[in-house]
Amino acid sequence: MLASLHSANTSQAPVAHFSSEHSCLSIDHFSLAYAGKEALCELTLSVPRHRVTAFIGPSGCGKSTLLRAINRLHDLNESVTHSGQITLEGQDIHDPQMNVTELRRRVGMVFQTPNPFPMSIYENVAFGLRLQQRMPKRKRDDIIEWALTSAALWDEVKDRLHRSAWQLSGGQQQRLVIARTLAIQPDVLLLDEPASALDPISTLKIEELIRNLKSELTLILVTHNMQQAARVSDYTAFLHQGELVEYGPTDQVFTNPRLQRTENYITGRIT
Amino acid sequence: MTLPRLTSSRQPIRLLQDRMATGLITAGGIGVLLAILAIGVFLVWETLPLLAIGDTLALAKLSPLAWGTLKAALAALLFAIPVAMGAAIYSALFMSARLRSRIKPALEMMEAIPGVVVGFIAGLILAPWVERHLASALVLIIWLPLSAALAGLLWQRAKTRLRRHLPLSWAGLWLVPWLAVMVALALWLAPWMEQQWFDGDLRQLLDQRYGMDYATRNALIVGLAMGFAVIPSIYSLAEDALADVPASLIEGAQAMGASRWQALWKVALVAAGPGIFSAIMIGAGRAVGETMIVLMASGNTALFSASPFEGMRSMAAAIAIELPEASPGGQTYHLLILAALVLFIFTFLVNTLAEVVRQRLRRRFRQMGGTL
Amino acid sequence: MTSASHTVSRRRRFSRVNDVWPWLCAASVALSLLMLGALLTLLLVRGLGHFWPATLEEVTLDSGETFAGQAVREVALPQRAGDERLYFTGNQDIEGVRWRWVAIDDIAESAQPDDLIRLDRSPWGDFIGRLVAIEQHDQRWEGDAAWQRLNALLVLPASQRQDSQLLLTTVDGQTLRQPLASVASAQAPNAMSVWQKTLAWGDAVWRFLSEGPRAANTDGGVWPAIFGTVLMVILMSVMVTPFGVLAAIYLNEIAHQGRLTRLVRIGVRNLAGVPSIVYGVFGLGVFVYGIGGSLDEWFFSDTLPSPTFGTGGLLWASLTLALLTLPVVIVATEEGLARIPEAQREGAVALGATRLEMLTRIVLPMAAPAMLTGVILAVARAAGEVAPLMLVGVAKLAPQMPIDGEFPYLHLERKFMHLGYHLFDTAFHGEDVQAAIPLVYATALLLVLIVLVLNLTAIFLRHYLRRQRGNEC
Ligand SMILES: Nc1ncnc2c1ncn2[C@@H]1O[C@H](COP(=O)(O)OP(=O)(O)O)[C@@H](O)[C@H]1O
Ligand SMILES: [Mg+2]
Repeated sequence: MLASLHSANTSQAPVAHFSSEHSCLSIDHFSLAYAGKEALCELTLSVPRHRVTAFIGPSGCGKSTLLRAINRLHDLNESVTHSGQITLEGQDIHDPQMNVTELRRRVGMVFQTPNPFPMSIYENVAFGLRLQQRMPKRKRDDIIEWALTSAALWDEVKDRLHRSAWQLSGGQQQRLVIARTLAIQPDVLLLDEPASALDPISTLKIEELIRNLKSELTLILVTHNMQQAARVSDYTAFLHQGELVEYGPTDQVFTNPRLQRTENYITGRIT
Repeated sequence: MTLPRLTSSRQPIRLLQDRMATGLITAGGIGVLLAILAIGVFLVWETLPLLAIGDTLALAKLSPLAWGTLKAALAALLFAIPVAMGAAIYSALFMSARLRSRIKPALEMMEAIPGVVVGFIAGLILAPWVERHLASALVLIIWLPLSAALAGLLWQRAKTRLRRHLPLSWAGLWLVPWLAVMVALALWLAPWMEQQWFDGDLRQLLDQRYGMDYATRNALIVGLAMGFAVIPSIYSLAEDALADVPASLIEGAQAMGASRWQALWKVALVAAGPGIFSAIMIGAGRAVGETMIVLMASGNTALFSASPFEGMRSMAAAIAIELPEASPGGQTYHLLILAALVLFIFTFLVNTLAEVVRQRLRRRFRQMGGTL
Repeated sequence: MTSASHTVSRRRRFSRVNDVWPWLCAASVALSLLMLGALLTLLLVRGLGHFWPATLEEVTLDSGETFAGQAVREVALPQRAGDERLYFTGNQDIEGVRWRWVAIDDIAESAQPDDLIRLDRSPWGDFIGRLVAIEQHDQRWEGDAAWQRLNALLVLPASQRQDSQLLLTTVDGQTLRQPLASVASAQAPNAMSVWQKTLAWGDAVWRFLSEGPRAANTDGGVWPAIFGTVLMVILMSVMVTPFGVLAAIYLNEIAHQGRLTRLVRIGVRNLAGVPSIVYGVFGLGVFVYGIGGSLDEWFFSDTLPSPTFGTGGLLWASLTLALLTLPVVIVATEEGLARIPEAQREGAVALGATRLEMLTRIVLPMAAPAMLTGVILAVARAAGEVAPLMLVGVAKLAPQMPIDGEFPYLHLERKFMHLGYHLFDTAFHGEDVQAAIPLVYATALLLVLIVLVLNLTAIFLRHYLRRQRGNEC
């Protein structure tokens, strides 16, 4: 699948290239600045379909910024400027023809802290569905059951679907948020440190969930936790101060990093 | 399980709805804000004809009203500032937290009592009473602070057990019966004192010896009534400002050996100074614009007199009484609108000043709280 | 050594003087509470006490003259010549006056006979004296039977007792024939037990709340004023809520968050401090004379020069108060909007919601309690506000209610009565202020209760809101 690593200029552009049929999302010389302050600088990488790609890097290096850019969440912030291209399945996401709400349906996003809406569990999952399409209740119930099952939450909540979502534990809330995203059938799922606020058992559940979802969609996982990246991801990109430092198959990045900076980070010398 | 793909057939409608709603909200929001702006524009527009008349007449008509407004506001502030500031200092720095969480809303409730009710009590109940018992009223004004000080002195001499049962942090509550008893005592003794010192009738004495007229509804009554109405707004804002002073500042001063009160006086009051200033400004704005209390408690005579025992007529009261009768477009009409414009500009400026000062202060405290 | 101890003792004394300040501050709190408590107690006691059936006295003076009445208050005579007492004697049709001052030293005897009665009549007000007989056609009841017959007849509506007459006598022996149709109620308070008095009290309170004013506002109830106040406040909320919320949403969610928005925000906040009378002036100049005058010219020119909308009325009053309370609603709603975590908005947007969908499905429901708080505060402010209404449409006695069975049922152009203005007018422009004061107390109490309850609701709502927010984060 990995077509070619640009071995010619390894020192400068640590880019993994996939042939276009395997690449789901590709980012091309993308830069972004908050009120003139650069947060992402000339990023170029492409993300393989139906794989888990992990973005790692020290805090403040721009991981969240990148995820939010893929979802065009920065549209809400007037001070953000950007250049370069992000293409999803060959379509430029900043193209004026592109429908932002449709883009966000296709690219689901899960945030660091669980943010269920102040409604029942059922209504949380139905939220996106109701926006997209009117459908008979039976069909909606089916989809909701499927989404909750996919998020490994169905067994825990099937008896209290109409209770407030805020009564769930943190781990359950995070899986509920994943379920609510899955319900609208995204092609890509962006996870921004989904387990950082959770206990170890919930973390394991989420990791397992990520591995299982791989067959259905493309996942991008931002994590602070090196072991987690090693455990669940197929590819790993290392970002530092807004730049892409190294990108390749996970075992290669972890066992045999090509650059000193990556090794320093992985071994804990940069935090 | 295989799922049918979601269709996106509703997309165009949803986007259209969104765009229309955004437009509507923008139009509505700007419209509302413009309507608010229209108040100022209207007032200025309606006073323009006065330019043709010349300013001597406007001055002659408005200056007693302006004087009355200032006199009423000043009287109210003279009463309100000491009480409100004392209450704010006490509840921010001395009061127990449990008591504070109850007392603060109660005092803020005072603000909600409608002006007509306060005006009615002042004009029809308090004013005749004070007229009959002028000496008692004046004695009370001196007697109350003295009795509070007396309570303090007695407390310092008291046994520790009593002190533990009646701590300073709850004094705001248990001084209430003490003050009530003291008021009763003063009222009981006042006629006797009047007999001894003022030949039995203070009002007559004032009239004969100093030539002071006494009007039933006068600046004293207005000051008490409007002071009562203004206390809560000053108290609430000043208390916020004092409570926001970072605790580290006060503790720092205490560690250096100052007694608690000196620490507070020097540090807290200075640090919260701008906040207290803005609280007083907002109180002044309220006192200047309050209509019903002045209308009902001042007698509404347009006089140029500094005597606390004579009435006045404020701009707000004049507008309320005369504007419905003034023919639109006439001179009086325009003059009264000029008075409204003056009130508008004055309160708006005072409030803006207060708001800016308050925000700046809050930012400063946040920085201090962060670094200390 | 001596100088050292000298400074120590001086410092002691100094600190002792200093230690008095906290007590003065504490006394300020106590004084404020005392004043608030005294005000509320005064209103409660005088406002509710008025309805308690008062004991009637039969007083004989040294001069041999007798009269009956209710003792109201005592005042010291000038020159320390003892006290004098004010009696409410009623019987204005017989005596010409209703009040009587009597020096206490002049009273030879005062008794409380059980057979003294008090009638509440529609012209002439109260009668205090004795019931001799009751006549219906050619039947006649006397003594106890008359009293029972009277009570039985009073249950009937006034129209069904046209044919009855009361034979009354005052304590000094003057007699009077009184048509029963003009009698509203009858009491023999001296003969009543505490329980009966309580019932009578409840009845009187109810009549105060449910009846219209009588005898130039010195008697009867305040129902039209309650109705007018409530109707005006409802109309005002209907106008202020959508516009206030709209403006807040625009300011907080849509407008570019720059310098201008910040200035506008401060401006809106400060408008809350602009005196209400200024809004009244604006309402009079723009709504009444401007818009109302134009409406009259276009649509009601046949009734000119008597104005329809070109004079103060319900519509203009509620519009003026809506403008007055707009800042309150905007500020409260904005606070509510600002408190909603950004994560909730992002969560909705990330699921493909448009801004409208995010607002209507997530943000507004979460901000609803804050908006409600704002509206309640606005209502509380509007209910107590009188000054602007004096300019834009309140009436001391509105001949017609603003809602009736006549098309179009809701008459926006009519003048209306308002509790606060009713209070002001009765207390300051009434014919017999002395007689009206108890009712003024009751009205003031009612107004204060309404406003306080509204404010307490807002406080609890806000408190509840904060707690709920605390749980979620
Ligand atoms: N809303 C914002 N406004 C301004 N600067 C921001 C904002 N969000 C993030 N940044 C800045 O952008 C850089 C990258 O942040 P982020 O993407 O959140 O890092 P992380 O890799 O920890 O997720 C940081 O320096 C941060 O300070
Ligand atoms: Mg992050």
